Formats: sequence, structure tokens, C-alpha cells
Amino acid sequence: MGFLAPWFLGGLAALGVPILLHLLRQHRAKPRPVGSLMFFERGTQSSTRYRRLRHLVLFALRFALVLLVVLAFANPFVRHAAADAKGRLLLIVLDNSFSMRAGTRFADAKQQALAALAAKPHAQKAQIMALGGQFGVLTQAIADEAQLHAALESIQPGDGRANFGELGRAIRQLSETVHGPIDLHLFSDMQRTAMPANFADMVLPNNVTLVLQPVAKGTAPPNWTVESVDAPAVLSDPEDPKRSRVKAVVAGFGTPATSKTVALVVNGKVIAARKVDVPASGRATVEFAPLNVGYGFNRCEVRIQGGDAFPADDASVFAVRRSDPERVLFVHAAGETRSALYFASALEAAAPGSFVLQSVAAEQARDLDPSKYAFAVLSDAVVLPSIFEHALAQYVAKGGSVLIALGTVAAHSARIPLWGSDLKEVHEYARTGNPATVGQVDFSYPALAQDQPGHDNGGWADVKIFYAAALDVGPARVAARLVDGTPLLLDKQLGEGHVVLLASGLENLTNDLPLHPVFVAFVDRTARYLSGSERLSGSRLVDSFVQLRSATEPGGAATSIEVIDPEGRRPLSLSEARTMQSFRVERAGFYQIRFANGRDAVIAVNPDRHESDLEPLAEDVQLLWSGSSVSRGSQATVAAPIESTYRSVSLWWYVMLLALLIAMVEMIFASGHMGTPREEV
Amino acid sequence: MQRFLDPNVLAGISSLDLVAKTVVDGFVAGLHRSPDFGFSQEFAEYRAYTPGDDLRHVDWNLFARTERCYLKRYRGETNSQLTVLLDASNSMQYTSGPPRKMDYARYIAASLFYLAIHNQRDAAGLMVFDNEVREYIKPSTRPGQLARLFAGLEQAEPRALTDLTKPFKHLQSYRHRRGIAIVISDFFEEPETIVHTIAPLRFHGNDVVLFHILDPQEVLPVLNGSAILVDLETDRKIEVVPEYTKTTYRAKVDAHIEQLRSRARGAGMDYQLLVTNQPLDNALREYLSLRQAGN
Repeated sequence: MGFLAPWFLGGLAALGVPILLHLLRQHRAKPRPVGSLMFFERGTQSSTRYRRLRHLVLFALRFALVLLVVLAFANPFVRHAAADAKGRLLLIVLDNSFSMRAGTRFADAKQQALAALAAKPHAQKAQIMALGGQFGVLTQAIADEAQLHAALESIQPGDGRANFGELGRAIRQLSETVHGPIDLHLFSDMQRTAMPANFADMVLPNNVTLVLQPVAKGTAPPNWTVESVDAPAVLSDPEDPKRSRVKAVVAGFGTPATSKTVALVVNGKVIAARKVDVPASGRATVEFAPLNVGYGFNRCEVRIQGGDAFPADDASVFAVRRSDPERVLFVHAAGETRSALYFASALEAAAPGSFVLQSVAAEQARDLDPSKYAFAVLSDAVVLPSIFEHALAQYVAKGGSVLIALGTVAAHSARIPLWGSDLKEVHEYARTGNPATVGQVDFSYPALAQDQPGHDNGGWADVKIFYAAALDVGPARVAARLVDGTPLLLDKQLGEGHVVLLASGLENLTNDLPLHPVFVAFVDRTARYLSGSERLSGSRLVDSFVQLRSATEPGGAATSIEVIDPEGRRPLSLSEARTMQSFRVERAGFYQIRFANGRDAVIAVNPDRHESDLEPLAEDVQLLWSGSSVSRGSQATVAAPIESTYRSVSLWWYVMLLALLIAMVEMIFASGHMGTPREEV
Repeated sequence: MQRFLDPNVLAGISSLDLVAKTVVDGFVAGLHRSPDFGFSQEFAEYRAYTPGDDLRHVDWNLFARTERCYLKRYRGETNSQLTVLLDASNSMQYTSGPPRKMDYARYIAASLFYLAIHNQRDAAGLMVFDNEVREYIKPSTRPGQLARLFAGLEQAEPRALTDLTKPFKHLQSYRHRRGIAIVISDFFEEPETIVHTIAPLRFHGNDVVLFHILDPQEVLPVLNGSAILVDLETDRKIEVVPEYTKTTYRAKVDAHIEQLRSRARGAGMDYQLLVTNQPLDNALREYLSLRQAGN
């Protein structure tokens, strides 16, 4: 703070005026009559006691008024940081994705971010964000350096995948609330794979100035990684040559052709090792067979031996559960045995030894306990013994799954067991001579999942449907529809379990599905989906979600779910364990989960392998993104300190305003103290 | 009834007649249930008969019961003469709040006149003085006397200085009959001088009562700061500091009052301090007690 016209401060001598007024003027006493002065004596008060300030409030007001007027003439000013005066927000985004674990990238980035924070003017507001698997806003826009520093220090390297598209979306959202200019400093390894498919997703609003602070210099170091592992999640027969094998793909990024040793580790022990020749920046497949694992959950890992620039991605984990073949209950209508034959054949072809089919007629199912089966199939069995139907309903509510296929028998009974709604009508396409085909297929549905369905609709386009039941969809998910819109495959959640309904039969009378290869894949995936084996083991990517309980579970019957993360900690609080429906796995390693229905699972979680490609964004792309001209390259901004200029802000107007206010108050007080009372008439 | 004796209440009544009636009736009603107490011939005491006593006063009923001879004595019923000497000097107009000392003195005088003439059938007179006798109304029981006295009181406005010597000499030349003389003043004079001046009245067999009228501010003055005080009689001004009024002044006033009281008692006079914020009954009670003492 200073004064633009300090010589006016000489006017402070005028402060003596109110002091003199209140010291000297007020002691004049009014004459006061008395009956007699007989008992009085003359007395004079000593000067120090006598000259006491009177009317202190009035004196203070007058003193302040003179002081403020003098100050106003001296024109005081304060120095404000220019950045703050312009309202610039410093936004520090630190990349903590998996690739930042390579070398000293994360430590360097954090150090640079801390330096940038320390260089900011004291009054400037800043905000800290983390760019990892999920974009994390760690602070609001604040000027408290200690809080900002603590937030920055709290960021740890994660296992997620960075996505500049997400950063762009978050900043665009932020700029809707922050209208001032924003200086965005991104401390990242600027990985090429973090770019979204569309560059437009990365574009930042006009008020954002992007300053890229790349921590990886030069070309990317050579890096090998286990790109993918194909291994069975559930294994019932280790000697099965089709399933008991692990196929891993080793990929090299910016690597020369070399020979690598790849080991299969099961429960911490290396049980096999293979040497594989990896071409320059290419891929090589290595296979381990058979997969000899013990009963229960096995924590497996495929590891490349011999280090490289990024050792954290040299291993890929997966979980294999070995169990006895699971039994499947197949309930069919009396006299109808074809469906059992087709279903059993398809199941045997797809997953030999994994499932054992037990086929019974509907009327014989009275004493069966469904809970002993991995799942149940009701093939055209719409009339069930009531005891069995009740047991089946309980079984589904507790987490069991049932596949219902509606064949020709179903047409005679409007009611569908377990489904909850009745049959509306039956479409007999065979009579018209024009069988229906499958129009829409939801390939994201687990029982129909296909990575690349192709032009023939994943093989479903050739399937002819002669007969299909039409029913009310209600809350069920429609996974496939016929060309006329009739739902063909529906999934409805009941309690913890699922009921999947095929609106046609499983035999070759109502459709020719069993005659097509897609039937085997459909039965295989449906069996895995319904048995829930896929959920209980296998591997997933970091930041994917695990469904812990159904959304329809009644609140009062909530049971606790237990999740143990790779570090052995329980990430869920007690209340979360009773209420959470899904859980995001954010660390690489093995998660141990006990679901609400009491089933245990060990799920392996791997980082996204896009993070293993350490190649940075091309220089021109970086320049394009930051919107910089040639003269302001990203390299130049690395060492550029954050500008901290100051400007003077005059306080003349505020001081005068305050003086005016005090003058008004003084007038009110003075009239109250000094006013002459009106004479009463 | 007490509120009728409150000076603040009386200050709101303009008519002295009404003030006096209010005060006296209120006072008398407050004494006892019978308003006639003490004003008629009444039994005083029994005394043993001694030879030479008048046999008419022997209580024969008592003799018949006890065979002892006792005389029955009564309080004598004689008319007394009341003279009020009212100081009307300038100092009497001082007030720190209603009523003024002069008004308070008027109320007392009027009440005494009303009590004396209306209730006691006494003769009552008034002398208003400052440094000389301003007005003198001879004691009388004639019809209209009360009105004359009230008119005299109404006209007695404060002015001039106080000088007791001249009026009291004048009074002695007028008074030939014994009676009660009540001097109402603020007595801003040396006690020695006051008693010396008034004492001759006592020597003539009068019962003399000094009613010392003071304002509360004269007894316990409160000064918030140093002040210039003006004497109402002499217009002299002096500057006074608050500390003085808190200490020395109070001691001096207390000493003055005490001295006046003791010297007055020593000279056989009664003394009563009346502060203007106190009820008037003290003055009336003093008069009645003198009246009953044998006048």
C-alpha cells in the first residue's frame, strides 16, 4: 500500500482541530443558581483532569472524518497481482494414469506441478485436478496455497487410462461456471493413446489457455507388454485340450526384434516358461497347455521375464476357478425330447466337461431342488407342479437363473411360469409360408456377445423363425427382435437372479436355430451367463464396474457385500457394503468379492494395455491442441515462469465514500448532542 | 391517604385552600379512626386527693368502689394562638424539581392555618418577611381569617435578602399573648445568629418551632462536572468542583443542620428539618404535639 500524493499527508495536522474542540470548548460550564453560596467554596479543577475529552463518539467521528479526507487527498493505492486482477484461474492437471509409472515420469510431473503452484501469485486462485482413470477434481478454485499443495501431494500414480477427451469435456463443463480466463497447465507424458477418436473432443473453450508440460522427453523407450491373455475363467477338466490352455499375446512398442521368455505363474509359482520371438514393434503369441490348476480360485499371471523401460506392464493377471462340472436342469414338456437333445449337444460342443445336463419331464420335476443346479431350462414346460414352480421362484429370487423357451405347447396355456405376465398371442409364421427372421440383435447382451458381428448379423440373419410367442415386455430387456418387431429373446431380473425367455423353442420345429452354428455359441454364452461363472473369475480392465447386487433388491433385506482390494484393504464402508449396487475396480491386481447371494469371486484386474504404448503425441498435434502459434511452443513454456506482474489500484473512491458516510453519521450525532431543545409554549 | 401529603401531588393543586383541606383531612384521617381525637375535653390522669383540693374533681364512683379518694384530671381546653413566620427571601425560590421551597413552605403554612382554625378553633396569624416585615396578619378567630391568611400566603412571592433581626423585633412589639410561633425558612444564616434572634420569642412564653426547609439538591447536591454557581439572593458567582460537593459541602450542611438543631433545642425551641420531597405530615405532627403539650 502506498500514496500517490503523499505530500497531502501534511493535512493530518488538521486532526488537532477536533481534539482542541473537544478538549477546550466543552469545559465552559453553565451558571447554575443555588439558594445560597454559604456552604460552597471556590474550586478549580486541575488541568489534566479537567481537560478530558467529551462526547467521545462525536470526537471519534470528527477525528475519522478529518483523517479520511486527508487520506483521500493523499490518494492511497494497493498493489494487486495482475493475474488475480484479471481473474485468471490457474488450473493444474496432473496425469496419474498407468503409463506415468514408467521411469520417473510421475515424480517429475508432480515436482513440476508443485513448482508451478509455488510460482503463482499469492492472491491468484488455483484448482487441482487429476487425470487418471476417472477425471478427479481435488479442490475448488481457491487461493489457499497450503490446501492446494496438500491436494497436489495427495495424488498418487494410478492404474487407469488417461483420456484427453475426458479432460476436454471436464474443462468445457468447468468453463460454463468459470467465465474468467483459465490457465490450464497439463503435466502429463502426453501419451498418443490418450487421444480420443475424435479430435473435437479435446478442443478447449476459448477462455482456456492450455500450457502443455510434457514430462517424457525425446522418443518413447522400447516397451514389451502382455497385451492379452485368453484363458478359461472356469475350468472343470484340466486335461481338456480345448479349454485347458492359456494363450497370451506379447506386444512390443517401439521395440527391436528380439526373443523374450514368457512365464506362466499360478498362485505365485512359475509352472511353465516359453521363449517367443517378438518381431520389431510387433506381436507374438505364446500358448501354455494344459493348464494344471487346483480346485478353487487360482491367481494366475503371464509374465515377460527380463526388464524393460516399463516393468509395471510386463505381467497380465487372470483368475481361473477350477470346479467339477456343473449340473444343468433341463425341464421339458412331456413327449418333447428334441430340445434336450439339441441343447445338450450344443452345450457339449461348446464347453465339454463344464456342464452336465439332467433332463426331466415337467411332471417329474415335483421333488427336484433347483438350488443344486447351475441353472435351469424350461423348454416348452409351461405347466409345472406347483411345488416345483414355487421352489424355482425361490431359486431365482436368491440368485439362480432360468432359461424359458416357448414352443408349441405354450400356445395352449396362456400362463408362463416365473415370468409374471401372460402370453398375448402366438405368431405362426409357418402357416403364411413366410418364416420370420431375426431383425435386431443386441450384441452387448452377455448371451449374444460378439466382438465383430459382421454383415450377417452375427449369424442370426439366416435363422428362420416359424413360430413365436408374443408377450408383454414390461420391464424386461429385449436382447433380440424379429423383423416384425416381435421380441425373440428377453431378460428379466427377479430378485438376485435372471429369467431369460426365448419366444420360440429350442428344437427344430418352431425355428431352425439349432441347425445353425450360432446356436452353439448362443447356448455356450447363455450357459456361462446363467451359471454366473463368468462373473466369479476371469479378468477385467481397470475402471470397469462389477455388479454387486441387483437394483430390484428390497432395501430391508440388504445383506453385506465384502470387497477386498489387491492391497488387502476393504474399500467399501459398512453402509456402502449394504447398499452399493456396483463397484468400480480402480487398482490392478486381484479383487476378492463376496456377493450378496453368498457366492465368492476372485477377479483379476489389469490396466488398459493402451497405456503400454508410451509414444507421445506428435509435436504438431500438441501445438494444434494448445492452440499455440509457432512462437509459443510447448517446450518454451516448460521453463517459463508464471507471470506475476502487479498493478496499482487506487482507493480514493472508497476512502471518500467512507468519509461521506462518516460525515452523515456525525451530523446525526451532532444534532442529537448539541441541538437546542425547543421551548415549550 | 399518604398521597395527599406528597409534595409532588400538592404541586399540581393551584388553590391553597384546597391544598390545606386535602393535607389536613388526609393527615387527620391517617392518625386514628376518630378525627376528633385530642381536640375535645378528655381524661388525663388520676391523682391522690390532698387537703385543699377542690372536692368537685373527686371521682366519687371510684371512691365508692375502693374507698380511696382520687381526683380525676382532664386536659384543659383552651384556645391557643398560632403565628407563622414565613421567610419570603429570594433563596426560597430555589428548586431542583417541583415544588419550590417557597411553595412547600406555603403548603405547610396553609395546612397549619386550616388545622388551627378549622379543627382547633385556634387563632392564627401570619407574618411574611425577608429583610423586613412584608406583611403581617394578626392572629384572630374571626370569620374570614382563613381566607385572609391564604391571600397573604398567595401574595408572598420571594424577593430580596434574608434578615431575621428586623422582622423579629417587629413581631415582639405586636405579640402580647403567649402562643405558638412557627418560623418557616431555609435558614441560610449562622445558627448562632438565628437562635439569638429568635430566642426572645421563647422568653415571652411562646412555643417556638423552626421549620427548616431545604431542597434535596441543597442537602445532597449532585454535580457532574465543575459548575459556576450563582447565589439567588446576592447574585455572587463562584466556580465549584464536583469533588467538593461530594465531601466538604455535605459535611458543612450536616454540621449546620446539627448545630441549628442543638442550639434551637438548647434555647427551648423545637426544630424540624423538612426536605421538599418529603410528605407534609411531619410539620403537622409537630404542631399537634406542641398543641397537646399544654397549650
